[in-house]
Amino acid sequence: MKIGSMLKDVLISFFSAPITEKYPFERPETADRFRGKLFYDPAKCTGCNLCSKDCPAKALEIVVIDRAAKRFVARYDMDKCVYCAQCIQSCKFKCIGMSNEDWELAALTKELFTVTYGKEEDIARLLEGNALPNAEPIKAG
Amino acid sequence: MTTEAYLQRAGEILAPFAKGTNNPESNRLDVQIAASDLPAAASALTDASWGYLAAITGMDHGAEANELEALYHFCEGSAVTTLRVRLPRVDCPEIPSVSGMIPVASFFERELGEMLGVTVVDTPDASRLFLPDDWPDRVYPLRQGFKPEQAASIQPNKTPEPSKAGNKFIVPIGPQHPALKEPGHFEFTVDGEIITGARMRLGYVHRGIEKATEERNWIQNLYLLERICGICSHTHTSAYSQGVEKLAQVEVPHRALAIRELVAGLERIHSHLLWLGVVAHEAGFDTLFMYSWRDRETVMNLLEELTGNRVNYSICVLGGVKHDIVAEHSASIHKALDFLEERIRYYLDIVTSDTTFLQRTRGVGTMTHAEAIRFGALGPTARASGVTRDIRLDAPYGAYKRFPVSLITDERGDLEARFVVRMKELLVTCFTIRTIVDNMPSGEIAVRFPRKIPAGETVSRVEAPRGEAFYYIKSGGGESPLRLHIRTPSLCNWTSVINKAVGHQLADAPMLIAGMDPCFSCNDRMVTVRRKDDMKTLSWSELREYGIKKYGQKK
Repeated sequence: MKIGSMLKDVLISFFSAPITEKYPFERPETADRFRGKLFYDPAKCTGCNLCSKDCPAKALEIVVIDRAAKRFVARYDMDKCVYCAQCIQSCKFKCIGMSNEDWELAALTKELFTVTYGKEEDIARLLEGNALPNAEPIKAG
Repeated sequence: MTTEAYLQRAGEILAPFAKGTNNPESNRLDVQIAASDLPAAASALTDASWGYLAAITGMDHGAEANELEALYHFCEGSAVTTLRVRLPRVDCPEIPSVSGMIPVASFFERELGEMLGVTVVDTPDASRLFLPDDWPDRVYPLRQGFKPEQAASIQPNKTPEPSKAGNKFIVPIGPQHPALKEPGHFEFTVDGEIITGARMRLGYVHRGIEKATEERNWIQNLYLLERICGICSHTHTSAYSQGVEKLAQVEVPHRALAIRELVAGLERIHSHLLWLGVVAHEAGFDTLFMYSWRDRETVMNLLEELTGNRVNYSICVLGGVKHDIVAEHSASIHKALDFLEERIRYYLDIVTSDTTFLQRTRGVGTMTHAEAIRFGALGPTARASGVTRDIRLDAPYGAYKRFPVSLITDERGDLEARFVVRMKELLVTCFTIRTIVDNMPSGEIAVRFPRKIPAGETVSRVEAPRGEAFYYIKSGGGESPLRLHIRTPSLCNWTSVINKAVGHQLADAPMLIAGMDPCFSCNDRMVTVRRKDDMKTLSWSELREYGIKKYGQKK
C-alpha cells in the first residue's frame, strides 16, 4: 500500500520535453502504408468497374468514354470515402493508389471533395453532360 | 471432452424434445423443437451444465415460407448446439421465455421481440432495448418486408410518459456519457445512497447495421462491420471473414492467419490500455489516465505502421490479409513491446498497490464464480471471477492452435481482479506477439475469393478484448448474406452489472459500469429514425431562453 504511487512519473515528465505533437506547425510523418487521398491512373485501367462495385461507401465511379482508346474518367468523393483501400485490392491492374502524403483533406465546401481523374477534355465533356455517343452510362456503385 | 463428445451429450440431453436433428457442420448440432418445449429443453441443458446461451438469432424466412424462426445457440468449447424453434409468420407469434433460468436471455428476448415482432411470454422486461420509444407498434425492422428507406417516412408514436417511480426515488444516469464517452441510459432506484434496483436502455447509437448487411455484397460488408466498433474493429472483420471463408470453403494461408492474430493482439493491448485510462479517470485517478493513454500511442503508431491506420485497420480481406509483416516491422514490434511490457508491469503494480485507488476497486462489485456463470459474463469480466472461458483456448480459431495464449484468471471477482486479469493478459499477449513475429509461417498472405458464397449457414466466434463475439451468418448462394446476426460481449456483461449494482453506493455506479469495459457501439446496431415532421432548430440564445424558462432559473 502506498500513496502518490505515480509521483515519480510525474516528476520525470515535468523535466522532459512534451510528448504532444506541434501539429499544424510541425507536420508528423505518416507510415508508408497510411491511406490518404486516392489516385487513379487511366492508362492502366480497363473499365471493369470492380473497384466501384466493391466500394462500401459508393465513393468511386469509373465512367468509360472509350474503352479501346483507354479514355476513362474516375469520379472520386473524398467525403464519402472511408479510406479502407478495398478498391486497391479489387483492382487487378494496379491503377488505383492511396497517398500517404496527401491527407490534409479538410475543405470549406462540399464541392471541393469531388475529384475527377482523366483527360481534361473528357472531364469537361462529362461535366457539361455531353458524353460521347458510344459512352457507357454512369452506373451507381 | 472432445467436441464430438460434447455434441453427443447435448443430443442425449435434448432427445426427449427433439423433433428432428442434424449436424450442419462438424462442430454444430441443430435440434428442431416445438415452442412449448423450449423452457424445458433450455433448462435441461443448463441443469446438466452444458455450455451457456451465447445468442438468440431471430430470422424471417419470408412470405413464401410464411415462417419465422428463433435460434437459441448454446456453446460449450467449440461445440455449438442450436435449438431451432419455428413460429408462424403472424403479427405476434408467442414463444415462452427462458430468462428465468438464463438471466442474460432477457436482453436477447427484448431484441427478438422488437426486431421481429415475436411476443416472448413471461419475459421479465418487454420494454424496448434498442428501438426508439416512439417507434410505431407493429413495425418490425428485421422482418423481410421492411426496407430501410421506410424508416424516414415512418409516423412516430407519441413519446410515452417516463415510467413512474411510485414512492421510490430513481436517479437517471445517462444517456450522455454514463461512464465512457458513449451513450447509454441507466435508471438506478436508490434508498439514500444505496442502489436498490437498476434498469437500462440502449439504442442511442443504433445504426441498423444487421439490416444493412443484407443490401451490400460480401466484400462491402467487411468494411461496414468493421465500423461497428472503433476499438475492436479487427475483432469484427476477423469474425466475419472467418465465417464467410468457412461458408465458401476457402483455405486461408497460415501466414495470413498469423498476421490476423498479431493484429488482434495489438488491438487487445490498445483496448485494455484505453480501458485502464477510462476507469482510472472514473475513479478520479487522472494521472494514471493520462500516462496510460500516452503509452497507448506506442501501440497505435505501431498499428498505423503495420496496417495503415490507427483505428479501422482494414487488414483483413476475404481470403487473407492486405499487408505482410516484413523484417523491418519485426524490429519495430519488438522495440515497442519492450517499452509496453515495462509500462504494463508498472501499471499492474500501481493498480494493486495505490491506497486511494484500491479503496475504489478492492471488494467493489464482487461477482462470485457461480454468479458469473449464471449471469453469462464473458471475457475478462468473467475470468476475474475465476471462469475459465476464453474462445482462443476453448475453440482455437485462426492461428491460435499454432500460437496459443495462456489463460489468465483471478478468483476474487472484484474490480481489482478485473484490473489484474487485464494487465496480466496484456503481458501474455506481448509474449504471444513476439512468438508470432519470430516464427512467422512462410507463404502467401491472401488467396482468391469467390464473389458468390454457396448457400449455407455458419457460426463464427472470436475472443474480442471484452469477451466472446458471436456471429451467425446465413448465405442464400448470392452476392450478399441472407441474414447476419451479431452478439457482442458487452450485451452479455450488462446482466452482471445490472445485478451487481444492487447494494452498492450510487457513487460506485460509474466504476461498476466502466469496470466491465462496456462498448455501446457494439451493442447498438439496428435501425435509426430521422423524423421529418417535428424537427425544430433553435439558435443558441433561443435554446438558452428555452432552458431558463423550462427550469425557471433567473438570468
